[in-house]
Amino acid sequence: MIWLMIFSMAAVVFISRHLLLEPKLPLRLSKGTQTFLSYSAPAVLTAIFAPIVFVQEGQLDLSLDNSYLICAVVATILALATRNTLLTTVLSMGLFFVIH
Amino acid sequence: MITDKQIEPDVYPAHPTKAKAFLKGTLAIMPLTIAVVPWGILAGSFAIEVGLTPIESQAMSAIIFAGSAQLVALGMVKAGIGLWSILITTLLITSRHLLYAMAMRSQISPLPLKWRLTLGFLLTDELFAIANQGKLHKFDPWYALGGGLSFYIGWNLATLLGIVAGNAIENLGELGLDFAIAATFIALVMPTVKKPSILVCVLVSLTLAVVCALFEIQAGLLIAAIAGMTAGVLYAKVTQEAERAQQSANQLANTQAQARAGTESQTDTMTETKSISGEKA
Repeated sequence: MIWLMIFSMAAVVFISRHLLLEPKLPLRLSKGTQTFLSYSAPAVLTAIFAPIVFVQEGQLDLSLDNSYLICAVVATILALATRNTLLTTVLSMGLFFVIH
Repeated sequence: MITDKQIEPDVYPAHPTKAKAFLKGTLAIMPLTIAVVPWGILAGSFAIEVGLTPIESQAMSAIIFAGSAQLVALGMVKAGIGLWSILITTLLITSRHLLYAMAMRSQISPLPLKWRLTLGFLLTDELFAIANQGKLHKFDPWYALGGGLSFYIGWNLATLLGIVAGNAIENLGELGLDFAIAATFIALVMPTVKKPSILVCVLVSLTLAVVCALFEIQAGLLIAAIAGMTAGVLYAKVTQEAERAQQSANQLANTQAQARAGTESQTDTMTETKSISGEKA
């Protein structure tokens, strides 16, 4: 079951990465599809990280005791101010391991 | 028609400039390889926690090679969700790679098959970030290979570390390694929020993802992401964001052209053509 999942997921991921690199494939994405897909990265990544930050043990946690939330706010400010992925990740994770 | 055989003699021998390009790619992606380490540890230890064998856990990173899809799938396995739901979610998470491939198509598709397969397999968010430098730069496949391959090795070593740690240390989950996901994604998403419509997309996705998590709705990721994308597209359409951006770009081009025309009388005809083409665009 796990091996079936690994190989089928690998197929889905590889096809999405490789498909449009094939010169023989006459496939082109329409303007509308391209516009829609351009929102996919921010939407998907946000949908993955938001519950990690805001939901603790099944409850909405907006308190100052939520170290995930505090450090996520710090990461947001760092990301907007520096636009540096490494600096943002390392500093906010460092802070997290200190206060968590 | 370019065949594999014509290119091969040029690709095969270890040439100093190729080694140099490979090294340059490795160095360019290095910060991202470092940033992915805690995340790889999480992928390895979480797989063990969910009940995969060490071989299966490593195989996820070695064969699938997609961090966010791996972690989300493991969460779904833990929750007892079926294979089809996992695959549909994987498809949504990985759909952004279609765009990356399309952007790189003009540079990678003329290469021989083995190059296309290799670079296609290695095409992650991180490789795209360092390799897609626009059409002005000459694309070097060895640079891309150095970046992609070193990142692949880094990701797999970090996963191995996670598997070993997950087997040895109890309650690794309580360390809060999952914050690594949040930190990385915040660092990747925030700089892309350049238009109001993307902000709308992010806010809708964020709110719905949290609401779905609170109500324990299993398809929460799909619902939140698709709603966020739709909201962003609709907002851009209603406010005519693209047209306005185009207009202000044209205005800027015209002002610049006029300024140049004022100072350099000799280039009058050239700037005139420029401002005309600017109005047309």
